[in-house]
Amino acid sequence: MSRPVLSLQGVSQIYSSRNASGWGWTTVRAVDDVDLDVHEGETLAVVGESGSGKSTLAKLLLMLNLPTEGTVAYRGVALKELDGAQRSEFRRQVQAVFQDPSSSLNPRMTVEQTLGYVIRRHSLATSAEQRAFILKQLGSVGLDPPEQYLGRYPHQLSGGQQQRIAIARAMMLEPKIIIADEPLSSLDVSIQAQVLQLMQDLRVRTNVGFVVISHDLGAMQSIADRTAVMYRGRIVEIGADIYDKPAHPYTRLLLDARLLPDPRRGRIRSMAAAASPPRSTALEGGCRFRDRCPHAIQICAETEPKLRPVGIGATKAACHRAEELTGATTTEKQAHAALGEK
Amino acid sequence: MSDLAVSDGAPDAPLLEVKDLKVHLRVADRLVRAVDGVDFKVDTAECVGVVGESGSGKSTLIRAISRLMPNLQVDELSGELRFEGRDILRMADRELRTLRRSRGFAMIFQDPLGYLNPTQRVGRQIAEALSPDGRGRSEHRRVLDLLDEVGFADPGAIARRYPHELSGGMRQRVMIAIALASDPKLLFADEPTTALDATVQLQVLETLYRLHKERNMAVAIITHDLGVVAELCDRVYVMQAGKFVENATAVDLFERPQHPYSARLVELSAHRLDFRGMQQ
Ligand SMILES: Nc1ncnc2c1ncn2[C@@H]1O[C@H](COP(=O)(O)OP(=O)(O)OP(=O)(O)O)[C@@H](O)[C@H]1O
Ligand SMILES: Nc1ncnc2c1ncn2[C@@H]1O[C@H](COP(=O)(O)OP(=O)(O)OP(=O)(O)O)[C@@H](O)[C@H]1O
Ligand code: SF4
Ligand SMILES: [Mg+2]
Ligand SMILES: [Mg+2]
Repeated sequence: MSRPVLSLQGVSQIYSSRNASGWGWTTVRAVDDVDLDVHEGETLAVVGESGSGKSTLAKLLLMLNLPTEGTVAYRGVALKELDGAQRSEFRRQVQAVFQDPSSSLNPRMTVEQTLGYVIRRHSLATSAEQRAFILKQLGSVGLDPPEQYLGRYPHQLSGGQQQRIAIARAMMLEPKIIIADEPLSSLDVSIQAQVLQLMQDLRVRTNVGFVVISHDLGAMQSIADRTAVMYRGRIVEIGADIYDKPAHPYTRLLLDARLLPDPRRGRIRSMAAAASPPRSTALEGGCRFRDRCPHAIQICAETEPKLRPVGIGATKAACHRAEELTGATTTEKQAHAALGEK
Repeated sequence: MSDLAVSDGAPDAPLLEVKDLKVHLRVADRLVRAVDGVDFKVDTAECVGVVGESGSGKSTLIRAISRLMPNLQVDELSGELRFEGRDILRMADRELRTLRRSRGFAMIFQDPLGYLNPTQRVGRQIAEALSPDGRGRSEHRRVLDLLDEVGFADPGAIARRYPHELSGGMRQRVMIAIALASDPKLLFADEPTTALDATVQLQVLETLYRLHKERNMAVAIITHDLGVVAELCDRVYVMQAGKFVENATAVDLFERPQHPYSARLVELSAHRLDFRGMQQ
């Protein structure tokens, strides 16, 4: 494969925050020793636990956060060593769609001003063509009729409309990499399909690479070449086929917890009473999933598993028992126990 | 004596009843018929879903019901909004606040950051939803319990954080905890689980379902995820361009969708498109 556009090596991001008593500080290792390459033309999905460090990872890739440890490199050059020209190339070639669209759009600028600003700054169209250019972009993300939206401020748009403006802004620059944090979360499935198609078209046309963070495993399965699964600051599994052949017990748990769009098979409604799931706290040493893992054994408490290749495919997982567990299905009882159900 | 008879509204009125609600907004010189004549109702202890196109008026509906419409240029706001038979559209602000607080209705809005106070620790914000001064020991316990119920492994640490120190999904869960703090009769939630991973989402939905069963809490949930509807809802409204195009039981919606848009939603959520490998 080509040389990565972005790469992370041993990257950690540590935040400090007040501890529970309010007197001292605790540190949160939001991202903990992560290696990752991002390529042109590849769609990399990042899924995982809420609070596991996905948005922090996105900010590191975008140079918005400086890593506490490790290096972030753009085309092989560490970010801190980029010169002015490389830096502005980076700003142009790596675009972002943030998790919270309302805060990434300037509240005092209309849609036309927001997009017009980017168009002028990067000379995407002449001023005579600007309006037609914007209308085309709006149409492509399903804002129809597009003229309606030109004069609107962000608060005059619905959640999904804001999200689509942010997507249009990132895509119209035709960058090399787009890092999108939950770009689909406020879109109905029919608009989602349209946006996924648009991403696919752009990829075919410009060979753009995507890093898409999402909780929607179904959508990610349909677009991702590779998927990274995060749990408590770490990538615990990464590979092409994690949906059909999960190697890490957490991945399997995630897949098992998906809701089925079938009202006759609801798992919640059929439960007499919901038990609360196992409580987890900071674990010293060993595997960080062991307090919820139905397969934990002695070694899991002693040695932290490293992310390593499993089997003959390109999948890597951080689990001592990955080989024996790959593809094997969890029994219903184990899944329920791990999900905290009775 | 039943709980219902105590309320001063009509005894057999639905918990929430909306009739011919119109919310027309003005953007520059244009009129947006965001909500255009909808009838909507939630019965006591019922779970109702609202699905629909992006931009079809779902969030405007919940905002109108909660009467929270800051800096909106409203061109027309008409119809009837009744909670336990009482007219909330024309109720004084103070009365509405009291109604909300004393086991009334709680709302969760689509954009959590916009509704959390950035300068206050989240534990404090939940405590204030429990009682106006919210400082006692029992309040503190209850705050931790609520955080636990929305899936936090370490409630004590989370309570001390400020909103900007939380991830998107953590903020969403804090909003849910705040809404549940008032022990509402009706929880009206706009996309409450979009930022949650599958296991946490399942846990939060279980909590809602448990409260629904144990305390007869009615739930109205706006969502794009038909899985959430299938799990939780008895009845579903489908919205398109400011109007409801379908109102059906969950089973009917999935098995016999009447409107073409509903049919498309059901179809798309059952069969994901596969885009992989198209490039080669
Ligand atoms: N500014 C900050 N100060 C302190 N802690 C922070 C800060 N930002 C994030 N965190 C913590 O870092 C961890 C990772 O947060 P991050 O936003 O990266 O999670 P995420 O995977 O994107 O989650 P979600 O899916 O809920 O959006 C969380 O525990 C969060 O509380
Ligand atoms: N303040 C406003 N002024 C004018 N129009 C508005 C305003 N807020 C929303 N709208 C418009 O009203 C319509 C309904 O918006 P609403 O936010 O209710 O949609 P929604 O169904 O919640 O969509 P989504 O699923 O994308 O969140 C949209 O076309 C939107 O652009
Ligand atoms: S290393 Fe052990 S505890 Fe961790 S996921 Fe694998 S089997 Fe479970
Ligand atoms: Mg996030
Ligand atoms: Mg909305």
